[in-house]
Amino acid sequence: MMSATISTDLIRGHTDTIILNILRQGDSYGYEIYKRILQLSGNRYELKEATLYTAFRRLEKDGDIVSYWGDETQGGRRKYYRITGQGRKHYERNVKDWDFAKNILETLIKGGIEDVQG
Amino acid sequence: MSRDEKELDQKIKAYFDNLFSGVGASQQLFELKEELTINMKEKIADYRARGMNDEQAFREAVISMGDLNGLVDDMRKLGQDTARMSIYSSMDNRISAGFIVVGVLLALFGIFVMAMTYYMREEGVAVAGNGIFMVAGGMLFTYGLLTRETARKYAMNKVRAALYGLSIGSILFGMFSAVVTHFSVGETYVSIASLMVFFLGGVGLFLLLALTESDRRKQ
Repeated sequence: MMSATISTDLIRGHTDTIILNILRQGDSYGYEIYKRILQLSGNRYELKEATLYTAFRRLEKDGDIVSYWGDETQGGRRKYYRITGQGRKHYERNVKDWDFAKNILETLIKGGIEDVQG
Repeated sequence: MSRDEKELDQKIKAYFDNLFSGVGASQQLFELKEELTINMKEKIADYRARGMNDEQAFREAVISMGDLNGLVDDMRKLGQDTARMSIYSSMDNRISAGFIVVGVLLALFGIFVMAMTYYMREEGVAVAGNGIFMVAGGMLFTYGLLTRETARKYAMNKVRAALYGLSIGSILFGMFSAVVTHFSVGETYVSIASLMVFFLGGVGLFLLLALTESDRRKQ
C-alpha cells in the first residue's frame, strides 16, 4: 500500500504538532484524525492509533485540547477533540521552532565544513 | 443489526476486554474502551468496503492499531488511583455521616427546647426562637446527605452541596422568622413580608441548583 514511508524516529517529536495541525482545521475524532494524517502525507506516513490515543491523553491533560462525546446513536458514540486557545498558541510556537530548526538541520546534515571556514 | 454485525461487535469487545484485563476499573478506562471500539468498528467497515472479509478486516485493524501497551499502563495507574480514591471517599463518607448526625441532633434539640419552653409557659417569641436550632440542623443535614457516596450514586461536590444547604437553610429561616415575627409583632402581613425575603431567595437558589444538576448515578 505504501511505497516509501518516513522513519518513526524522525517524526516522533512532532506527533503533537501534527495532531494540533489537524485539529486547528476543525474538531475531529480518533479514526478520522488517523485517516487525515495518512491522507495529508500522501499515504507515506501512518501514525499508529496507539500513538494517537496516548498523545490525545497527554494533550488533553496539558490543556491543549478538550474532548466531548458526539451524539451518534447508530453503533456507538464518537469522542471528538477540539483544540483550545492554548493549543493554538502551542501549535504556532512549534511551527516557528520547526521553521528555525529545519534550515539548521539541513546544513548540519548536508553542509561542508569548507563552506563556512575562511 | 445483522448476526454478523453482532458477532463482530462481540469480537471487538472481547479483544479490548482481554487487552485491558486485570486493569482496575475507572471512568477513563470505560471511556477509552468505548472510544477505541467505535473507531475500530469504523476502520473495519472501511476495510470491508475495500473487499476484505470480516476475519481479515478484523485482523488488519488489530495490527494497524499498533502497540497499545503504553495505554494499558496508563490505565493501570489510573485504576490504582481509583482504588486509593475510594479510601478517601470513605473518609469523606464519615465526615458526611457526622454532618447528618449533628444536623439531626440539633433539630431534635430545637424541638425539645421548644416543648420545654412551651410548658414553662414562656411567651410565644421565646418558644419560637428556639426554632433556630432546627434551621441550623436542616442545613447541616442537607449538606451531609448530599455529600454522601452511596452504592447507587457518587457524592455531590462540596461547594454544590453547601449551596443546597444554604438554600434549604434560607427557606427554613424564612419560615422561622415568619413565626417569630408573628409572635412578636402580632401582625400577619409583617410576618409574610419577613417570610418572603428568605423564602424566595432559598427557592430561587434551590431551583437554580436543581436545574443545573448533573447525573451522579453510577453505571
